[in-house]
Amino acid sequence: MEAKHEPTLAGYVGIWIGLLCIVGIEVFLTLMKLPTHELLASLLVLAFIEAAIGLLYFMHLKYEKHILLWSLIPAVVFVLFMMNHIWPDAFRMASMKVPIQ
Amino acid sequence: MSEAEITMSAGQGAAMEASPYGIQSKKLTMWLFIASDAVTFGAILFGYSYLRAGTPNWPTPFEAGSIVNGVIMTFVLLTSSLTMLGAVIAAKQGRKSACIQWLGATIVLGIIFAALHLREWFRMFHEGWSLSNNPMGGTTLFGATFFCITGLHLMHVISGIIALVVIAIGYNTDWLDAGHVETTGLYWHFVDLVWMFVFPLLYLMNVGR
Repeated sequence: MEAKHEPTLAGYVGIWIGLLCIVGIEVFLTLMKLPTHELLASLLVLAFIEAAIGLLYFMHLKYEKHILLWSLIPAVVFVLFMMNHIWPDAFRMASMKVPIQ
Repeated sequence: MSEAEITMSAGQGAAMEASPYGIQSKKLTMWLFIASDAVTFGAILFGYSYLRAGTPNWPTPFEAGSIVNGVIMTFVLLTSSLTMLGAVIAAKQGRKSACIQWLGATIVLGIIFAALHLREWFRMFHEGWSLSNNPMGGTTLFGATFFCITGLHLMHVISGIIALVVIAIGYNTDWLDAGHVETTGLYWHFVDLVWMFVFPLLYLMNVGR
C-alpha cells in the first residue's frame, strides 16, 4: 500500500542539497583539526543523520508501511549495537602502546 | 503498486492474502539483502575501528588537499542517487524513454565514481601503499583495511553498474517492469548510504593533523 504522498524530483533535489551540505560540514570539521575522538563522534553523528535521510526518503522507507521499518531497522541496529563489545579490548591494546606491524 | 495489484499479479484468479508489508516480494527480498549487507559493512567497519583505536602508530596519509578526490567521489555518488530517483519516478509513471535516460545518467555517474576510485588507488600504489606495505613506516594495517573496505564498496558499485545496465535493457524491451527499476534503485541507494560511512571513517579520519 502506498498511501503516503512521495516527494517529486524537485523535492528530492532539496534533500540531495541537504546531504551535500552535511558532507561539506564533515569536511569543514576535518579541516578544523579537532581532537580525534571529537572528530570521530561528530562524523559518526553526521553519517547517521545522512543514513537516516537516505533510508527514509531516497529508499522510500518513510512511505512504506511502518511494519517494514520496524521489521528491519531494530534488528540491524541491535546487531551493530552488540558489536560494541570490542571496544574495551581495543582500548586495552592502545594503552599497552605496543606498536603493531 | 497497490496491495490489490500485488495480489492480482500473483496470477489470474489467485486468492492470496495481501502482503503484510504491502510491497512486492522482490522488493522485500532486496530489503532483506540490504539488512544483511548493512551488517556485513558494519562488521568490517567495526573491525577497522577496532584496529584504528588499538594501534598507537596508525598512519594518517591523507593531506587536506588529497581529500578533494574523495569529496568529488561523494558528490558523484550522491548525484547518481538523485538520477536513480528520476529513473524510478519515470518508471512508475510509465515514461520509458525518460527512465532509460535517467538510468543512463546513473550508469555514467557510477562509472565516473569507479574511475575516480581506481585513480585514487593507483595514486596510493604509486606512493608505495599496498595491502601489506606502509611507505610512512609503522603499521601495515592501514593499507590492509583501506583497500579491503574500499575494495568491497567498489565491488558493490561495479555490481550495481552491471545490474543497472541489465535493468535498462530489460525495461526498454518490456522484459522487466517498474518494480525491477525500483528494486535496483534500493540497492543503488544502499551503496550510496554505505559510502556515507566509508568516506568519513576511512578518508576524513585519516587526514594528518
